[in-house]
Amino acid sequence: MEALEVGSAEAALARARRGDSEAFRELVERHSRTVFRLAFRMTGNEHDAEDVVQESFLRAYKQLGRFESRANFGTWLYRITANCAVDLMRSRQARHDVSRGESLDGDIHQPTAEAPGPDRIAQSAEIEATVQNALGGLSPLERAAFTLRHYEGRSIDEIATTLGLGTSAAKHSVFRAVKKLRLALEPLRASGG
Amino acid sequence: MAEHWTEDDLILYFYGEGRRRVEIEQHLQRCAACANAYRNIAGTLAMIKTPATPERGDQYGLEVWQRIRHDIADRQAPWWMVWMQPQRLGVLAAAAVLLIAAFVAGRVWEHQPPAAPTVATNATAPAPDSTTAANNADVRRRILLTSVADHLDRSERVLTDVVNASSPRDLSSEREWADDLLKTSRLYRQNAADAGERSVASVLDELERSLIDIVNSPSPISAADLDNIRRRIDAAALLFKVRVISDELRQREDFTARPAGTVRGPADRKTS
Repeated sequence: MEALEVGSAEAALARARRGDSEAFRELVERHSRTVFRLAFRMTGNEHDAEDVVQESFLRAYKQLGRFESRANFGTWLYRITANCAVDLMRSRQARHDVSRGESLDGDIHQPTAEAPGPDRIAQSAEIEATVQNALGGLSPLERAAFTLRHYEGRSIDEIATTLGLGTSAAKHSVFRAVKKLRLALEPLRASGG
Repeated sequence: MAEHWTEDDLILYFYGEGRRRVEIEQHLQRCAACANAYRNIAGTLAMIKTPATPERGDQYGLEVWQRIRHDIADRQAPWWMVWMQPQRLGVLAAAAVLLIAAFVAGRVWEHQPPAAPTVATNATAPAPDSTTAANNADVRRRILLTSVADHLDRSERVLTDVVNASSPRDLSSEREWADDLLKTSRLYRQNAADAGERSVASVLDELERSLIDIVNSPSPISAADLDNIRRRIDAAALLFKVRVISDELRQREDFTARPAGTVRGPADRKTS
């Protein structure tokens, strides 16, 4: 059954590469949920994630001719999605916050001044909100690298390949992200969060 | 190692990376400062939990397709480009030869005595054995035409119900109905596309879009949401297309069902 599915996926891919849009539809239906999951983790909101899903498939369709048939379509699409997410975050950032720089001591959202309440749910909600704020303070590349490392469990080498970076640049993007997040979350940790 | 490990080293260690993991592990057991720094890093990173991804249903892939399909069509190469590929030129040449052959055959045919007038008749001729395969194909096609026509009739009813619905109201029965139709619609569209029935496949494609709208509509539906669905049905002239294709399929179904050799006269036509 699994072999049959793999076979039909390969057949659909082969037909899609010959310009058969109906075959591409099969690929869209097969991979949409995976693409959405990654897009959501990278952008942090549903609306942007949906934009990334659409753009990823359109970009994939446009670039199908460049896809090497020996490669894995899912991996290739994963890379396209990650880069679409980075592009979208960059455009959002350019539009909404031109002043936000890449420096460590830049615009990092600080947690609220009040100490977390005794209610555990409220506390975890506060942590989540603070994490979201802190993630919002990362540059698109830092956020992408951190998402791939922390949520997706990708190695530094895989992150470098996915984002088209050198290993050193990928590594330093993760380091910078973690440092910024630590700075933003430290007060919560100190207060017992 | 007398020196302490850097924050970067400890971050890599946390993620299970770095070439000197064993050394770091041993150092952390001996050095309280590094062990404390590592605890801080690990504690902070442990606070960052993987966010729960919002659910997307079984139809999500289809929804994505419906959103992008027009852009896909726009980005496709012009139709004639396909035939300019080297492997297709042979097919193009063969088609040209067939066309010339058909033209020559047509010229010869013109000199044959004219055929008997096409008057309504019930005379039937026994089908030769060589036509069995063709008859089977006809039967299959007739079944497809009948099934799709029935499907379009059912879809027309649910679309009509939605278009005429007063808002706000609960559309749950229409939603269930649309959900059932959506599943079969995809199969019929695929079959129609495989059979070269492009216009049928195209209408089924548009129909699916409206069915998805209905399936995903909130309950109870607001006036604004209902109006949106209606507007999309109207904008695509969907009800009209569904009726036209359904009628056309019924006529073809009727035509292919008649025994070979019979030609229907005007008196046999439906007047309804």
